[in-house]
Amino acid sequence: MLKKMYNWIDERLDITPMWRDVADHEVPEHVNPAHHFSAFVYCFGGLTFFITILQILSGMFLTMYYVPDITNAYKSVDFLQHEVAFGVIVRGMHHWGASLVIVMMFLHTLRVFFTGSYKAPREMNWVVGMLIFMVMLGLGFTGYLLPWDNKAYFATKVGIQIAASVPLLGPYIETFLQGGSITGAQTLTRFFALHVFFLPGALFALLAGHFIMIRKQGISGPL
Amino acid sequence: MSGEHNEQPKKSVFRKEMSRRQFLSYTLGGSGAFMVGVPLLYNVRFAVDPLLKPDADGEYVKVVEVSEVTQEPQSFQFERLIVDGWYKNDTTFEAWISKDESGNIFALSPVCKHLGCTVKWNGSQDFSDEYFCPCHAARYTKDGKNLTVAPAPLDEYPVKIEDGWVYLSTTKPNSRV
Amino acid sequence: MAHDHHSKDEKVIYVGDSRVKQGGKFVPPPDYSAYPGKSEAFIPNFLLKEWMVGCVVLIGFLALIIAHPSPLGYPADPNNSAFIPMPDWYFLFMYQLLKYPYLSEDYVVFGTVIIPGLLFGALTLAPFLDTGKERRFYKRPIASSLMLLSFAAVVYLTVVSWDHYQHELEINNIIPEHIERAEKLAAGEDVREEEEETVIPIVGQSEVGYEIYEASSCLSCHASGLEGQASFPPLLGIGDKYTEDELVDIMKNGIGTMPAQWDSNITNGLTEDELNTLAAWLATQKAPAEDAASAE
Repeated sequence: MLKKMYNWIDERLDITPMWRDVADHEVPEHVNPAHHFSAFVYCFGGLTFFITILQILSGMFLTMYYVPDITNAYKSVDFLQHEVAFGVIVRGMHHWGASLVIVMMFLHTLRVFFTGSYKAPREMNWVVGMLIFMVMLGLGFTGYLLPWDNKAYFATKVGIQIAASVPLLGPYIETFLQGGSITGAQTLTRFFALHVFFLPGALFALLAGHFIMIRKQGISGPL
Repeated sequence: MSGEHNEQPKKSVFRKEMSRRQFLSYTLGGSGAFMVGVPLLYNVRFAVDPLLKPDADGEYVKVVEVSEVTQEPQSFQFERLIVDGWYKNDTTFEAWISKDESGNIFALSPVCKHLGCTVKWNGSQDFSDEYFCPCHAARYTKDGKNLTVAPAPLDEYPVKIEDGWVYLSTTKPNSRV
Repeated sequence: MAHDHHSKDEKVIYVGDSRVKQGGKFVPPPDYSAYPGKSEAFIPNFLLKEWMVGCVVLIGFLALIIAHPSPLGYPADPNNSAFIPMPDWYFLFMYQLLKYPYLSEDYVVFGTVIIPGLLFGALTLAPFLDTGKERRFYKRPIASSLMLLSFAAVVYLTVVSWDHYQHELEINNIIPEHIERAEKLAAGEDVREEEEETVIPIVGQSEVGYEIYEASSCLSCHASGLEGQASFPPLLGIGDKYTEDELVDIMKNGIGTMPAQWDSNITNGLTEDELNTLAAWLATQKAPAEDAASAE
């Protein structure tokens, strides 16, 4: 039955080559920790992606309860963490995952750096990787404000002050990030929009570029 | 599927044992299912939580003095604290309260069972002593029995009488007709 | 399949299956195709190991989540001066950087823009700064040592910043909010009460003042429990705002949208003395002491 359905679609869209290309492409043995244990350092990229997927998943589910509004944001986070079944786990997944994804990405960056894998012809992929790094830091910064507790509020104020110290453009950046002259209701909705739509959008585009380039260029050879 | 480039099959003897490729596929499927399934399980349980929460049985709310209730249905409003997640609010409800022939007090919900408009006692000049819904002219008897249009009788508030006051709980299906 | 398919008829020759074109001026460092037979299929061989690692990480991750519920402090209060702000740990090194001379005050732009900008800029442009063909880290000492140095600096700054925070907490005797709140929750205390508007109780409802209040016209707007209704403000805690004399003045002359009530109450049968008693009683409507203390 499934096979028939698959064949029906395959006849029309010719999907077999697409997944066969992904499934059958060859990967060098030297990145597989089963062959050389030290090759576990090559796992951090994949783990970063895995945690990112978990972040997207838990983030989507969290928005079922969360409201980006200064009177209700805190209450809704408190509610979803303490009143909803597994809320503490779903929020925990998103909270600790945010740290873990930074750790994994950092280790991945160090691996690529110390194995010299960013060298020609893979310079562009390194640059895209660094952009992903910055988008992730942006996601961390914008996400930190959303629970609207004291820690979130004051850390964001400090962060915005840092951005405001940029010469010439500083005051404009400050007003843009705050959505006004104070850190308040408009800041929260802005950070929510950035955290949930704009930055993930940029992240998806960059990730796609990252993966396409890996396929095009292959994994760098053994040292 | 991708086995053709691994090596020539070493043994051409067909055995019923699981092949290496099958084993790998099952392990791959199993670990993949674990990595997707466990996080998804938590998240889905989190999302469907409202389905699994028991309906809070409404407490009885003091509405009106027994002496004010007559044979003729009258509309009374009362407030009930609604806890909607993190949002707590006193919401106003309406009830049509009257006595039946044997003097028992009963209360009906004004929400039409057709499409949810609000019905009114003697709401139309053409039909006296009936509940009338202005939206699609649904009509109900004094007991809330549906006469036209509506598919079901009006909901009923459970009534409790205490110290000369009428107390109402949350609506349930009509038990009078 | 890739290694033995190179024939002279092919127009484009790839190295192994890695899609790097062979030939041209640039000779890439030895690719894995230089080690024939040392590659494997993505599915299932490679992915399986990757996913095994993933499973182990997931289990560890879930253990962390279950052991440490994510922190939540008290609602944001811009006037809270006792709170020590801390960014997320991965911004701590930048946060610490701003405490040093020449990176703060007049030179703050060095700490906030120039140094982080140089760091991230150099890191982003690493492939164009370090253009040698050599990939082994010990064969490119400048790049590697710069990286190690910055890494060590970041770790050092983060640790110093965190230690300083812990020290501050200790000398100020502060328990971080999220920990305090979690402990209170675990102990079954109601931590959410403080978010609600505290209801100030009536003072001296059995006194004669309340009887006069019930007889007066105040009752119709400010309600029998002094809680007010709709746009009429509550009189609970009114004694914190006005003195007895001010209250008499409000009754005589009105305030805001409230018209004068004194004369109409006199015509309704209350005496001046009774109204003065009422004002005195209203002036005793103060919030309980511990509430005033916690509101600071």
